Amino acid sequence: MTRKALKIWFPWVLGVWMIVVIVAAFFYAPPAQGFKGESSRIVFFHVPQAWVAVLAFCVNLVASVRYLRRRDPLDDARAAAAARLGLVFSVLATITGSLFARVMWGSFWNWDPREVSIAILLLVYAAYFALREMVPDEERRSTLSAAYAVLAFVTMPFLIFVVPRIYWSLHPDTIISASGQLRFEMESRMRQVFFGSLMGFTGLFAWLYTLDVRLARVRMSRARREEV
Amino acid sequence: MPNPESLIWVAAVTTVIWVGLFVYCIALDRRVRRLEEGQ
Repeated sequence: MTRKALKIWFPWVLGVWMIVVIVAAFFYAPPAQGFKGESSRIVFFHVPQAWVAVLAFCVNLVASVRYLRRRDPLDDARAAAAARLGLVFSVLATITGSLFARVMWGSFWNWDPREVSIAILLLVYAAYFALREMVPDEERRSTLSAAYAVLAFVTMPFLIFVVPRIYWSLHPDTIISASGQLRFEMESRMRQVFFGSLMGFTGLFAWLYTLDVRLARVRMSRARREEV
Repeated sequence: MPNPESLIWVAAVTTVIWVGLFVYCIALDRRVRRLEEGQ
């Protein structure tokens, strides 16, 4: 398939894919036992959003390291695009997570270690954009924010994977079971929907990221032309 | 506020998030394409 055809067909394939996933999440997959109401269905969206946020922060790290090595402004644009998406998907994961918390634990916010750690992570990456806004010189801004991104990434695995496992947490372990067992094996229909959603959200991330980078490329070449 | 345990409420929130992101992507895609063609 040519690149042009991919650009045209990808949005429609992704759109149809996610319509199927959404319908399947509510009418095909069974609700997991041991969860109140329909709350277990939120997991089909909440976990992929959290996964995309982690993926985006990893891309941010790679682009930042590449910028520090090659000093290519496009790498800086790639890093910023990835961090922006990481922040957006972290916010979405927090929203869907708090909806889950409201159903399961009676309150949108419970100061659970996982809630606190995602809030800190949001602040860490919000500071990345505050830093970018504060430095007017382009090259200096790119260098500083790339260095900051490397440091920020060090906190990410600690906040997402370590802290919630050190302290006692209300948050369920990664995956839920239709049979109600807490040592988590997913029922096959749930697994299909879960991985379908994971692929859909990853596709959405790839699309958003590519668009953001293309937009940055257009802006850069326009700025270069204006300079000449 | 609807009952947060209901299927409708959960479906509405998750669908609104997805549709919002998708519509934003479509709009951004068009904008980027227009800018690229204008170059």
